[in-house]
Amino acid sequence: MVANQHPAGLNPLQRFRQAGAILRGTSRASNPAWYQSALDLDLQLHLRVDGTAVESVLYDRKTKTWSAGPALDDTCATDLALIPAFAAQVLATARSAGASSIGIVLLIADEFATSELKPELDNPGALAELRGTIENEPKAVLDDASVSAEESSWRLIPYPAAGSETIATTVCISRRWASFLDELRRFGEENNFPIITRAISAPLICLLALGNLKTDAVTRPLIAILPYPRFTVLAFFNEHGDLRLLRTLQHRGQRRPTNLRHATSTTAAALELADPEIFLFNVGDQADPQLAADVQIVFPATSIREVQWQETPYRTPGVSSPEPVIAALISAAPETPIAASHTFTVLRGEGWAAQDFLPVSPEAAEYYPSRGEMKLLRSARYARLAFAAATVMALAWVGLAMFQMIRQPEWSFKSEDAQFGKQMLAKVTGDKTRIEHWDNLLEDRSKAWATMELLSVMFPERSGFLTKTFAHSVKTDPAPGQAKIGFIREWKITGLAREAALERLAALNTRDGISGVFNEVAQLTGNQAYRADLPSRSLVVNVRTLENSSYKPGPEDEMNALDEATYPFSFDLTITQRFESADPMAVIAAKAP
Amino acid sequence: MFYRQSIIVFGFVLPAVVCGAVTGGGLLLKSKAVASFQQKQSLHKASLANNRNSQAIEAQISQKRAHVDRWKALLDKEMKNTLTSELKEISDKLPAKEFTQTAVEWPNGSGGLAAASAQNSSQVRLAFRATYRAMQKAFIELETRMPQLQLQEIKIDPSPSSASTLNFQVTYTAWEK
Repeated sequence: MVANQHPAGLNPLQRFRQAGAILRGTSRASNPAWYQSALDLDLQLHLRVDGTAVESVLYDRKTKTWSAGPALDDTCATDLALIPAFAAQVLATARSAGASSIGIVLLIADEFATSELKPELDNPGALAELRGTIENEPKAVLDDASVSAEESSWRLIPYPAAGSETIATTVCISRRWASFLDELRRFGEENNFPIITRAISAPLICLLALGNLKTDAVTRPLIAILPYPRFTVLAFFNEHGDLRLLRTLQHRGQRRPTNLRHATSTTAAALELADPEIFLFNVGDQADPQLAADVQIVFPATSIREVQWQETPYRTPGVSSPEPVIAALISAAPETPIAASHTFTVLRGEGWAAQDFLPVSPEAAEYYPSRGEMKLLRSARYARLAFAAATVMALAWVGLAMFQMIRQPEWSFKSEDAQFGKQMLAKVTGDKTRIEHWDNLLEDRSKAWATMELLSVMFPERSGFLTKTFAHSVKTDPAPGQAKIGFIREWKITGLAREAALERLAALNTRDGISGVFNEVAQLTGNQAYRADLPSRSLVVNVRTLENSSYKPGPEDEMNALDEATYPFSFDLTITQRFESADPMAVIAAKAP
Repeated sequence: MFYRQSIIVFGFVLPAVVCGAVTGGGLLLKSKAVASFQQKQSLHKASLANNRNSQAIEAQISQKRAHVDRWKALLDKEMKNTLTSELKEISDKLPAKEFTQTAVEWPNGSGGLAAASAQNSSQVRLAFRATYRAMQKAFIELETRMPQLQLQEIKIDPSPSSASTLNFQVTYTAWEK
């Protein structure tokens, strides 16, 4: 048993913790019986008290069977010490029946009193509001200022009949059985077993039987007489079957009220109920057998119908009183004309007849979360699980993603390594630049030995040439803004030639001829500067041939190769080779890095 | 209905906020990790590219690296001394009748291929009396040993004193560091 405190004295966190403790420590969340009516439960214990005896019958709603319930003594209402033993019997009975809850329906047949509403509250539209007000503040509703809410409990009973002088009356029952029901409920809470109570006025429930008893059409007013051991209830209905008035006549030690006949006739006359149909409910063994005859005196033309329960649908073996059966079958509306009347419709459908006169006090009910709150609390439990699962899944997803990232080789890569790679690239790039620079500068673009080889190729020995001077120079051919500098190589050769060499000179004086010579030199020396087949290079040659003024003709066999007079022609040859800045051998303009 | 507000606050709102905060923290952590990872990926990719480029460049220049040391050693030496000693060695190998150095001169300034270049350079003017083939051999030797020498000018004239020898006047541009 959870030691609960009233939530009004708790802070929000404490309230939540208390609600959680109730959720965990009780079956309130899983067993809907905690929040159901006793009449809706599958196992019901009906206790009918009429002042002379207590009838205890057990009703199994599933099998629709009745059996004897635990015996209850009327003294339990006043002696609280006897209640635990009875409650234990009830609990044992319920558990032995395999029930998960039990409803205790207390049918109070030993008292019934009516009071009038304040006249100013006689407003049909305020009926619903008055129903709640009378439960909590009866003084605000009743015309009698001396009433005590601590001693008695009032409930409203409407008069739905058109033309009624008042909208409702009130029924009062003392709180004599309140402690008994409180203890039963507390016992159930202590044992985490729903024991749900409902205290019903037996005459009000019994009136509902009229719907089953009168099967023919309602054409006349009706009077129902319900004689109980200590009082008799008179219910007056109009010709439409609607309730006009409830009246109680106390027996005051007699078997029947002395003024029954008079009261019945005068009230019927006052209500202008002419020629009424009278139903006499024999609801107790101690009813006066002369009662019908007594009433017959004032209604001589009326046949009084005495209800014999054994002949009605409420006949049930083992149950001596009709109220338990009527209460148990309250949800099944009979299909008779009077049952379709407005009175019986609202008495049954709106629960006026089965009102709980001794419910759980609002303050006691507030200790526990309501059914909606329990559902909300249970949902919160699932929501927390869902949140946690979502969080775990999200974290797992994050963790998996992190794990996959960590597994990548890039994860362990350090910026220092990147810096090292960058430095390495910078170093090799610098090396490459320096190497390319010096490689360029040290190219064999102008070498003396290769130039001399050019001369040898152009004018081979005994080819009829005598070279007199040879000059070769190199100069740059700069172009602004270029990274490389083109250059120009120039050869100037003067000499003498015989008749046979003129053809060679003529060949040298052509582009193809001089290009062939240069390419031959390139092939012989491996010096790429003499390649003439590159588009970035150009070759220009100019040969001028003149007669040798000192020439002396003579026999060819006697000619000395070094004798200038044996050469009939002189010549001068100029070759210009231009390297553009786009040429691979162009000189880098910048300084070495 | 004393419990409804507490249940909503502590049963739904607070757990949602806590789980949201934890999830948000996890997502924030992940986003930071992803950002860091992407940066590392970028660095790694760049590093791989740098390495590939370095290797490609190294492959290009590796064959020339052997020459670089020789070039460096050559350029580190004073050109005048090197030229003098190299010519001495070359001269010793050739017959004196066929090869004689007749002059050496060190003009100031730069000319020839170095005229328009920012690279440091010097000039040297040499004169020889030699046979054609001996001189060509000497030039092969000299220009092979000293690749920094770029021919700027050469003149060949007959020698008035000997029919077998010629006068050679050569001007070189020598690249310097």
